[in-house]
Amino acid sequence: MADSAQEKETQEQEKRQFEKLGTQEDRKWPVKTEFTPDMLAKMEELLPSRLNRIVATSLAGCIHCGMCSDACHYSVSIPEDKTLVPAYKADRFRKWYKYRFDWIAQVFPSFVGAKPLTRELAEEMYDKLWGGCTMCRRCTFNCPMGVDYGMMVRAARSIMQAVGRLPQHLQDTVDTHYNYGNNMAVEQEEFVETIEWIEEELQSEDGCENFKIPVDKKGAKYFLTLNPREPKYYPLTIQASAKVLNAAGVDFTISSRYWDLTNYALFNGNDPDAKKFSMWQAEDVKRLGCEYLLAGECGHGYRALRWELPNWLGGVDFKITSMMELMARLVQEGRIKCDKSVWAGKRFTYHDSCNIARSGGITEEPRIIIRAAADDFAEMEHNRDESFCCGGGGGALAMPEFTPRRIAAGKIKADEIRATGANVVLQSCHNCTDQLKEIIEHYHIKAKVMNLAELLAPALILE
Amino acid sequence: MENTVSHALYILEEPVQYICLSIMALLYIIKIRTLLKKPFPPEKAELKGDRTAGAIQSLFNVLRPWSMESTRNSMYFYAEFLIFHIAVALTIGSTFFIPLIPHLMTPAVTSVIMVFMGLAFLIGLRRIYRRFTVPEIKIISTPDDYFAIILMTTFFGVGFITMYLWMSGSPDTGWMWVFFLMTTFFLLYVPFSKISHYVLYPFGRVNFGMVFGGRGVLNKNAK
Repeated sequence: MADSAQEKETQEQEKRQFEKLGTQEDRKWPVKTEFTPDMLAKMEELLPSRLNRIVATSLAGCIHCGMCSDACHYSVSIPEDKTLVPAYKADRFRKWYKYRFDWIAQVFPSFVGAKPLTRELAEEMYDKLWGGCTMCRRCTFNCPMGVDYGMMVRAARSIMQAVGRLPQHLQDTVDTHYNYGNNMAVEQEEFVETIEWIEEELQSEDGCENFKIPVDKKGAKYFLTLNPREPKYYPLTIQASAKVLNAAGVDFTISSRYWDLTNYALFNGNDPDAKKFSMWQAEDVKRLGCEYLLAGECGHGYRALRWELPNWLGGVDFKITSMMELMARLVQEGRIKCDKSVWAGKRFTYHDSCNIARSGGITEEPRIIIRAAADDFAEMEHNRDESFCCGGGGGALAMPEFTPRRIAAGKIKADEIRATGANVVLQSCHNCTDQLKEIIEHYHIKAKVMNLAELLAPALILE
Repeated sequence: MENTVSHALYILEEPVQYICLSIMALLYIIKIRTLLKKPFPPEKAELKGDRTAGAIQSLFNVLRPWSMESTRNSMYFYAEFLIFHIAVALTIGSTFFIPLIPHLMTPAVTSVIMVFMGLAFLIGLRRIYRRFTVPEIKIISTPDDYFAIILMTTFFGVGFITMYLWMSGSPDTGWMWVFFLMTTFFLLYVPFSKISHYVLYPFGRVNFGMVFGGRGVLNKNAK
């Protein structure tokens, strides 16, 4: 009896022993408000190291044909500002590259538009490549030469970030991830309690009494990752995802440690940080012995896990998939069935996140899910890999100094949403969620924003 | 047709061209080698598509105007592009055909080349006008951009007249001299200018195709 009580107490103590996640010593990256001569000198040093074959080809290969000008949501939404044409923005970086490496520029720099890296040019790079590009790659897909603007802009950002010249809030987000193991400084105890509370809420739904949200379940098939906005501000999205997974009988778990799928180092260009965040998560997947790392509904998070993490880590020995792909498969296998009448009277449209569709290859899965749960679905004029960026990508939401431009750049997306007549905009990305909500309000559109799990969850037929 | 020209023009048409062509080739080799020495970003993720198929599809994107919104929505612009570049190939080609295989330059072949040169000349004029007047283009244009299009357009104009005279039985004219002097200049200048973009084109397209082919964005039918 005494042993049993002691054992119980030990278990309780273990339960309360929460650890400090992230790095042991806190870091505050020094962010500068302007470029100094020392910073410019350091940037000159760094440039060659950032020139892989794709970046170098993209810098050398632009022929100034202007085909990209109609492809960019900034230049289309704000046509009066010609400096937002992709080629112009990229030229802020290209001028410097040419000054260093173009043959003719060594003799006649101005003939090919080359310029030395001055404070003025660096500030233009800052303005256009942080605040005027979301690295959505729509221009890349419309470039006859195959110029990869996304990779090129990230290379420029990484050089600026290394010397401390980047939007403060974006770096703060990365620092928070570095210091706490997730980008919103959610303590482990707070997170576990939130998940337990969500589980209780889920179990209070009809037919969900036995549904679970397992935390740190060893040997689970799927290691579900979340965007920190979910436990912090949108717990119902976790509840919806858990409901779908439970209804289909999916064996999953959430880690109490490295559950954050975001990686804002993808946006600020700091590869060592990106690698560190990836490594934490990969080690956590191994700790729990899961077969799949399952990315929740998050655009850049999906891309960071599915396509970049294996490269940052030199390969992984587990599989990586996403909620979008898994839910589509569950629908196709008949493991979840929906009652479409739940959504009667609602018209849906779907916004393809750039990182999921264009940079991630997920275009049909969301539509399989939507068709399973709703009858009235209208595509936007530009969809799938041709979808316009909503304006919230590339870390734009973490750059408040560029907010007016971000909202203005969302006009083309707002116009396309309005044209569908939809009253629900579906998406699978938290940055898109926030941007879509803002532009819907700003451009006076009567629609709400939901993710795909939130579409499925209320319509599930529970047996 | 007979290629009866003065010794001086022969020197310009053949030995000088060969020397310039060799210099051009050497510069391109240096350019390509420099690019190839740069590391290609690794791809360790489990692929959803075929990188090679993606690269091939992307490489031949130039023949699939429907695949890109930017060309799909401006087929007229695409047609101009196609004619202009065919004319480039034919014009450059004719600088070799004239001295080396003059019998190939039958009236029919010469007429076809002239048609493309003439059209390319008109397209070139329109492109010059566009570069000077369309704000989106003007703001991104460098002196090299203006110089390249003016040079090409002039080359087509001169080429058209030269071909006409060639067909009329006057191969050794001032126009022929200008035509071959321009060709000589081209061979030396192009590796330094934006006109050499055709060397970078395969790199850009293959890079794009490898990345997005592997991710299953391209080549969807092949999956």
